[in-house]
Amino acid sequence: MMFDFLTSFSPAFILIVAGIISAFIPSSRVRKILLIGAPALALVLINMIFYGQDANTYLGGKMSFAGIELTTIRIDILSIIWGYIFCLAGVLNGIYGLHEKCKITDTSALIYTGAAIGAVFAGDLITLFIFWEILALSSVFIVWRGGPKSYPAGMRYLAMHILSGVLLLAGLIIYGRATGSYAFNNIGIDAPGGKLMLLAFGIKAGFPLLHNWIQDAYPRSSVTGTVILAVFSTKLAIYTLARGFAGTELLIYVGAVMTVFPVFFAVLENDLRKVLSYSLNNQLGFMVAGVGIGTQLALNGVAAHVVVHVLYKGLLLMSMGAVLHRVGTIKASELGGLFRSMPYTALFCMIGAAAISSVPFFGGFVAKSMILAAVFEEGHLVVLAMLLFASAGVLEHSGIKVPYFAFFAHDSGKRVKEAPWNMLAAMGIGAFLCIYLAIPGPIGGMQYLYALLPSEVAGQAAYNPYTGYHIVFQMQLIMAAVFAFTLLRRFGLYPPERRAQILDFDWVYRRFGLSIVQWGNAMWTRLGAVITYAWLRLFGNIGKRLYQVFSPAGAFSHDAPSGISAILIAGMLAATLFIVYFL
Amino acid sequence: MAKLEKPTLSPEEIVERTESHPMAVPFLWLGKAKVQRNFIFIPFFGMILFSILGYFYPISSPAPWDFWFSYSVIGFVSYSFVVLAAWPLFKLLSRPENYYGEDSDEGGNDV
Repeated sequence: MMFDFLTSFSPAFILIVAGIISAFIPSSRVRKILLIGAPALALVLINMIFYGQDANTYLGGKMSFAGIELTTIRIDILSIIWGYIFCLAGVLNGIYGLHEKCKITDTSALIYTGAAIGAVFAGDLITLFIFWEILALSSVFIVWRGGPKSYPAGMRYLAMHILSGVLLLAGLIIYGRATGSYAFNNIGIDAPGGKLMLLAFGIKAGFPLLHNWIQDAYPRSSVTGTVILAVFSTKLAIYTLARGFAGTELLIYVGAVMTVFPVFFAVLENDLRKVLSYSLNNQLGFMVAGVGIGTQLALNGVAAHVVVHVLYKGLLLMSMGAVLHRVGTIKASELGGLFRSMPYTALFCMIGAAAISSVPFFGGFVAKSMILAAVFEEGHLVVLAMLLFASAGVLEHSGIKVPYFAFFAHDSGKRVKEAPWNMLAAMGIGAFLCIYLAIPGPIGGMQYLYALLPSEVAGQAAYNPYTGYHIVFQMQLIMAAVFAFTLLRRFGLYPPERRAQILDFDWVYRRFGLSIVQWGNAMWTRLGAVITYAWLRLFGNIGKRLYQVFSPAGAFSHDAPSGISAILIAGMLAATLFIVYFL
Repeated sequence: MAKLEKPTLSPEEIVERTESHPMAVPFLWLGKAKVQRNFIFIPFFGMILFSILGYFYPISSPAPWDFWFSYSVIGFVSYSFVVLAAWPLFKLLSRPENYYGEDSDEGGNDV
């Protein structure tokens, strides 16, 4: 009875209700209990729902809205892995933010996490849209927690996400009216409204030229806020692409471009959280390319990559957050030598760096390679070459640059306290999972990760990352990149870290577009002034003329001799006769 | 018999040890200029070692460009290209920090 009641609601509501309650609780401790307890409870509920029945798919929370059948809960082999990792990330984020006493962050984080879980388990497009919008609205408050200077970035973030929501709504209406179904299954780019929905998902996934909201908003949030933000929106977008557009060839090329271009920006950036935001874009590219390939191996790779990426990217952002929390800056040019003061944080950062660099026995190694193998199997050699190039790029920005410039390099002389215990605990759990999930056999948990993957065929039995050549060639790539780094540093060819604003595509709307709007506004103001002046002058002249004619002192009021009147009348009669007879 | 002299720490090293986290003290040698300068030999010999191993563990399904140390070449060339490209790109794309009139783009601390 109780089970039936619980399973009639999406697990997302646990978090959303907890978030609403949190908004009215003055005690920070109680809020923190909710922040950690609610995602943990949702995790248990997801497990109970999925494994409490025999089928591979659970459909529940059905309701009718305006004649449309909604399925608010669909837990299947694809969505459950996202549900698990979102809940786990919610718990880790809660632990990481224990020191923070901000009601807005706590409330927004709970609702944001809940919305992401609700969207992942949405069985129809209407439910997806509702959670999509809650996601956007709840997360912008986390962006704004970065202080007054994050307000413009938050507005731009909101604008992009609202645009994404509008596109999704338009697409789903067109799709629903054409097909008669709002079920969220494979949509395809050629379906009515498909392109609009792909664009909507693409905005959240950080497609090229639509990506700037990530680098704009994420680094501007608070220490805890950035960690929370980096988990949900983009990974939800990857899920929606995997659900709706798996096998869409266009995505292979979009993903390949996504992996390559952020590499060049990351090396230029001085703000290490911005470097990681570009790195996020690069990693999303691997996932998008995998979705585009769409084979079982590729989708397994995408799902595995999402799991390990949430862990290692979270770990890297947590470590940089800890640095910002203690030092007060995250500019590479101001940092260096912090391993003396923050050895645990340095260790966790290096574990995250090893995981993202796909070092054997660290997270990325068992996941990303599946996507590369799938790309190769499908014969996309140019794309494979781009992904290999991007893998070396990952080593540059996340594998080397972030830990090196923060914790090693020259000694900045900054002596600070180690990160608070709660931050270390969250990073410790993340670091442990980055290693545990990458180690096979009795001491590791790789088999548990692989057992969760959506396609059983290409799961544990069919894919083994620990072959001799895979380890050897991956180590070749890593060692060669590290050697290049040390060589370039020794010969002074590695560019120094400098404070600067690096222009990206957002220049188009932040500078060029804004300039056009400002120019238009100035022109409109000037034009308004000219028009007003012209109107005033015209009416002034008309009034003046009328006054000259009709006023008591005007022409019509003057006494005129009768002779002149007779001449005037004769003239008018002559003119009238002329018109009548000759025209 | 010559008496062995107990190694002593320089005043700078004493200060460094005092200021550092206790867990970091055994690793302070990582910050020494000599260690950082000579670190280059680890990836260099690692690269050589894994390149040789590549001969004995060939890729099962090689791409057209693959040979026994192909990933060493890919890693070195790609990495160097990305880093060297940063020089002209920085000149092209860098502007003063307040270019957009929004002060620093650095995030805020927790409250």
